[in-house]
Amino acid sequence: MKSLSPLSYVPRRASLQSAGLGPAALYLGAYLVICFLSSDPIVLAAATFGAALAGYGCHAQRAVRFSLRLGAFLAVSMIVINGLVTSRGETVLLRLGQWPVLGRIDVTAESLAAGALIGLRAMGTMVVIGVWSACIDPDRVLRAMHHTARRSALTATLISRLVPLAAGDQARLGDAAGLRGPGATPVGRIALAHRLLAGSLDRAVDVAATLELRGYAQAASTGAARPVPSRFDLRFWGAGVILMAAAVGSIVFGLPGLTTYPGFEYAPGPATLGLAGLFALGGLVTWQRGRGPHARRN
Amino acid sequence: MHDATERRAGDPTLSVEALSYRYAGAVAGSLEGVSFDIRQGEFVVLAGASGSGKTSLLRAACGLVPHFHGGALSGRVSVAGRDTKDFGPGELADVVGFVAQDPETQIISTTVSAELDLPLRFRGDEPASRARAIEEVALALNIAHLLPRTVSTLSGGEMQRVALAVALVTRPPLILLDEPTSQLDPVAGDELIWLLRRLNEEWGVAVLLAEHRLERCLAAADRVIAMSSGRIAFDGPPRAFLEHTIEPGAKLGTPAALMFSLAGVDPLPVGVRDARATLRVRGIKAGPGTAPVKAGPRPKRNGRALRASGLWLELDPGEGPVDILRGLDLKIDPGERVALMGRNGAGKSSLLRTAAGLLEPAAGQIETRGGIALLTQNPGDFLVRESIGEELSGKSGRAALEAVGLDLPDDSDPRDLSGGERQRLALAITLAGRMEGSELPDLIALDEPTRGMDRRLKEGLSELSRTLSERGAAVVIATHDVEFVATFADRVVLLGDGELIADADAATVLSGGWYFATEVSRVLDRPGVITVEQGADWLLGEIAQGSGE
Repeated sequence: MKSLSPLSYVPRRASLQSAGLGPAALYLGAYLVICFLSSDPIVLAAATFGAALAGYGCHAQRAVRFSLRLGAFLAVSMIVINGLVTSRGETVLLRLGQWPVLGRIDVTAESLAAGALIGLRAMGTMVVIGVWSACIDPDRVLRAMHHTARRSALTATLISRLVPLAAGDQARLGDAAGLRGPGATPVGRIALAHRLLAGSLDRAVDVAATLELRGYAQAASTGAARPVPSRFDLRFWGAGVILMAAAVGSIVFGLPGLTTYPGFEYAPGPATLGLAGLFALGGLVTWQRGRGPHARRN
Repeated sequence: MHDATERRAGDPTLSVEALSYRYAGAVAGSLEGVSFDIRQGEFVVLAGASGSGKTSLLRAACGLVPHFHGGALSGRVSVAGRDTKDFGPGELADVVGFVAQDPETQIISTTVSAELDLPLRFRGDEPASRARAIEEVALALNIAHLLPRTVSTLSGGEMQRVALAVALVTRPPLILLDEPTSQLDPVAGDELIWLLRRLNEEWGVAVLLAEHRLERCLAAADRVIAMSSGRIAFDGPPRAFLEHTIEPGAKLGTPAALMFSLAGVDPLPVGVRDARATLRVRGIKAGPGTAPVKAGPRPKRNGRALRASGLWLELDPGEGPVDILRGLDLKIDPGERVALMGRNGAGKSSLLRTAAGLLEPAAGQIETRGGIALLTQNPGDFLVRESIGEELSGKSGRAALEAVGLDLPDDSDPRDLSGGERQRLALAITLAGRMEGSELPDLIALDEPTRGMDRRLKEGLSELSRTLSERGAAVVIATHDVEFVATFADRVVLLGDGELIADADAATVLSGGWYFATEVSRVLDRPGVITVEQGADWLLGEIAQGSGE
């Protein structure tokens, strides 16, 4: 018997799990949009916090912690890699001289900050994906995909199953890495990530083949019952519209973020703080009175 | 058994004409000039060594080849009159069901009921019709109690049964199965085969079943098609197939048939009941025995390779914590060859994973003082680099490769190795650095290493385990394969629901039961007689005694 992966979906009577796919997707999609598009560290940190808060509100603590750990690793990697490969910036912290292939390496405060910004973005994205994976029923996603991407079982599999597949594979590969003899070449995180991605894609292809065999490419179902409405739908539609409008608005109206090259330029104003506050507090939308994260653990 | 003439009447459900196929990028073809028909209600077993083309043929019969896998195909395959060149797998979904070897890649949904609902929903069935179809297939396969369950909480046997139900829920006239019992314990494996037979008889479903463990399914079959190097080597009834396989070097014969052949008893038996009937006619009294099998005195062990005392293990599969191991006491010494057996979910893998430190016991102790090398179920998980030299370098790597009998160039790509070689390489990776010079760790454990292996590969693994134990390591193999256990183990530990329910020499455990017993033992039911050679000797003795009288 296996222990459940932290990113596995578990049916629960929590708000996000009970809500319809549309409102849930809009709500979490707003967090994804702000994480992808914002270049403001305060907004990104607030969105990450808000997404984690949303996960805690619907009992996905394990998924949030797992995603934060993975995101933190990615963030540190981004800082180091960007620090080494980008020599732009006015504030040189370290001169490492001339290196083969890489050329001259000067580690600047600006390149480290730019790496941190990308890392923060990656961390927020990981948390949103983790909450989605643990709280949104992949069966519902697949059924929705059947209406919109009927000719591509692989696309449907990648969207609805890749994260759960990768989570299962990650646990297996992690075990295998831990069982390697001390004399075997150790498996670094990069090699493991590479193997995980390749393996998960292979497995996604297998699942897509199964989906084809189940008749996925047949005409969309005619007798499908309308999804049962949830009392949480309105709440997530409302929050989703506000958050998405704020996210898109901040991009359209050019809310300034952190500029790193050639030197730092950052002047957060009330709009930035308001946006950050909105996304941080938006995480509370999943919370129910008397049903906090301690009511039932994931 | 059905009347073959009645069964072969009517248009073929599956028709294969001069089929040749080569995967994209492959140098050699996987199928060469294959032709046969399967008619409604036939139960056909597809036999053949690993790599003989069984899986490719099944993929061609459901349209995955060429629509999903690409490649070059010539000839014609039609299912219920639909040519697979014109109809893809999705369009064939209502006429053919497919059950693959690994249940985990063929379960898509979160719950069992959603999984059964999926193909019906894709077909556009109305909700009431879907509910009825799900209820009926669940009752037919005895899985109604599983419907609300989350698939991640199912055992391997339950998952395979669900996969079969999904393949049958649309009531297709043809069902294809690719080694569906390879991950099942003997109980679940036998149940699955007889379930297929019942559905075949009651619903008239034509069955094409690819299987390595022929002793499990031959008795249920009407016909056997044997593949060799992509071609059909034999096509006929099971008894004629056995005659065909009992040739020097043949690797497809069942243990009972091999035993009869060695003892000169005719005709070769298609199953246990058949074998007993033949022996009865010959005046040889064989099973069922009445006297309980007595184990010899238990040898005193120091438990240097593994010592578990009062071991409890708790896991949460998603629906609350469950006790996996319950107060287990076990000692294993260096040099022993131990088979760890039990039903799916009995705790075999969990015990090995706890010994290797991957799981934390809830109570009790487990220690492996002389080190442990554990190879888990998927050797591919250990192979992460582009060459053997990158995986294993230096003196310790070389010693590990030597220990598993691999002598390949450093620049060989692990992906180019055969299944058996990949398994050995993965084992070498677990051993590297755990050896002192050429001295092995005290415990080498393998979890379900025979999945999907043909007899030749199993013999290689059995030989390897013998070599490793002779060099001083205890070799513990968790497996469901009783015939393999009879060839390699000198001790069998049987777990049931996390508790130790039998621990004795292999001959005692494998001859004292029904499910956890070899085919030879099930036929003869003589204490200590479990292998083909032992059975043949016993039969020859009985025959000599009979002619003496």
